[in-house]
Amino acid sequence: MANLNIASWFKPFERIAKEHTALISGVWIVLVLALWFIGTSGATKLFPPPSLVWAGFVDLFNEGLVRHVGSSLWLCAQATVISIVVSLVVAYLAPIPAFRPVAVMLSRMRYLPLTGITFYMAMVVNDARDMQVLVLVVFMSLYFITSLLGVVAAIPQEELDHARSLQCSRWEVLWEVVIKGRLDYVIEVLRQNLAITWMMLVTVESILIAAGGLGVLIKNSDRFANHGRIVALQIVILLVGLGIDVFLNFLRRLLFRYSKI
Amino acid sequence: MPTYNQAEAILQVQDVGVAYGDKQIIQNINFTEKDVLRPDQVQGQTIAFVGRSGRGKSTLFRSLAGLEKPTQGTILISDLDAQEQEGHPPLRGVREGDVGFVSQNYVLFRHKTIEQAMEFAMRKREDVSETEKGKMITQHLKDWGLYQVKDQYPNELSGGQRQRTAILEQVLSSTNYIIMDEPFSGLDVGNIQNVINAFKLINLSHELATIIFCTHDIELAVELADSLYVIGYPTKPGGGLDNVGTLVKHFDLKARGIAWSDQFSREHQLLVEEVKQAILDS
Repeated sequence: MANLNIASWFKPFERIAKEHTALISGVWIVLVLALWFIGTSGATKLFPPPSLVWAGFVDLFNEGLVRHVGSSLWLCAQATVISIVVSLVVAYLAPIPAFRPVAVMLSRMRYLPLTGITFYMAMVVNDARDMQVLVLVVFMSLYFITSLLGVVAAIPQEELDHARSLQCSRWEVLWEVVIKGRLDYVIEVLRQNLAITWMMLVTVESILIAAGGLGVLIKNSDRFANHGRIVALQIVILLVGLGIDVFLNFLRRLLFRYSKI
Repeated sequence: MPTYNQAEAILQVQDVGVAYGDKQIIQNINFTEKDVLRPDQVQGQTIAFVGRSGRGKSTLFRSLAGLEKPTQGTILISDLDAQEQEGHPPLRGVREGDVGFVSQNYVLFRHKTIEQAMEFAMRKREDVSETEKGKMITQHLKDWGLYQVKDQYPNELSGGQRQRTAILEQVLSSTNYIIMDEPFSGLDVGNIQNVINAFKLINLSHELATIIFCTHDIELAVELADSLYVIGYPTKPGGGLDNVGTLVKHFDLKARGIAWSDQFSREHQLLVEEVKQAILDS
């Protein structure tokens, strides 16, 4: 291990060895855990103690936590695939002047509140599972479109000129520079926005309780003020989300060797 | 003084101007470049543009490359696809893709390996069979020192390799005209030499091969060019400078007998001083 100079840990912009970074992270984890154990050891508890959370986790596991995680992931996957396809079509049409206002308008609609819109969606969709997917698709798409428009807008004019100078038609420029040349960014956009989707699960899964999912589990636990279960679920949701994030980042590097975002 | 003749016009710029809205960037750009013939050797053309920043060099270059439509005037280049008239190709208006353009940052397709980029550059060449294209690519990659890295992506290349790839791409794309926007900017001595070598390779490749470049390095411009233009603000009749770029001076290095020279002579140095003065005055 590199020389341990703790003073350097507190110096702004100081570059430190990787092992030291890991060590600092470890210290923080220990501190948080210690705070959790000590802070919940007294008579008054504002936060459930680790033992209660562990008991909540065991309860959840026995009640089919894995199945619920699977259900949430499946819902998320369905909505993600549909919304990314819709968003890509909209974003790729954005460089065409006639379609640009539509893309920009859809992007602005991300400020719409969820509640009012779901009412109208319920009028056109009968199946509750379809309703869950539709709600997620609509809202995910608005965020995806916003991010993808940002990716398209950030392409330097020089890259477009380079393709044009190689006798590319405007459609070829769109295909080579915007679509093929930025495929890796799609995974990155997905990765950045999946956090929002993951947070929306709780709301969306409450539409159809029979289908299960992490959102349903949280809702049930909340109803009975079972704090141990609630925190256990939060931790599970966080870990699954982080797992997806790591997987997508790995996938981007695996599929696109040239990608250094 | 090297012997040479000038044949037909290969680039004719007539009264070109570009404005963005109310803002006129360049105007009254007029010049003609002819095919240079030297006995017993293939000789392309090398045309340099120099001038202070913000005088419209990049705008003019984008227009010459067909990437920007001039608001006034016409830019004509040799139409190699048309039937020859009086032994040489006629002129026609420049179109997008007619002229190779190498930007200052040596932009490449980020998702193509060097070999894939070369194949893409040659995709529209109907004069060469697929087998021949493969052979040509291999040979050029070897000649330009890129064969070992042919399967690498731009982000895996060194700065020098990126430059050569960007230039070679345009060479293989088969346009005889290549425009380079500040190709020496920010390069170390070794990479500058790489680009100079690339210039020579292009010049020797075809009689009509024409390199048009701009630079702030006046010594390099004088060393490499056979024709040199200063773009700047002209002096107004009542004194003071105008605020729209145009060509203020032309130096024909062929006529002065200092083009294609291996030595940087005293005449070259004197020309450098003249060019610098012309830039400062505009």
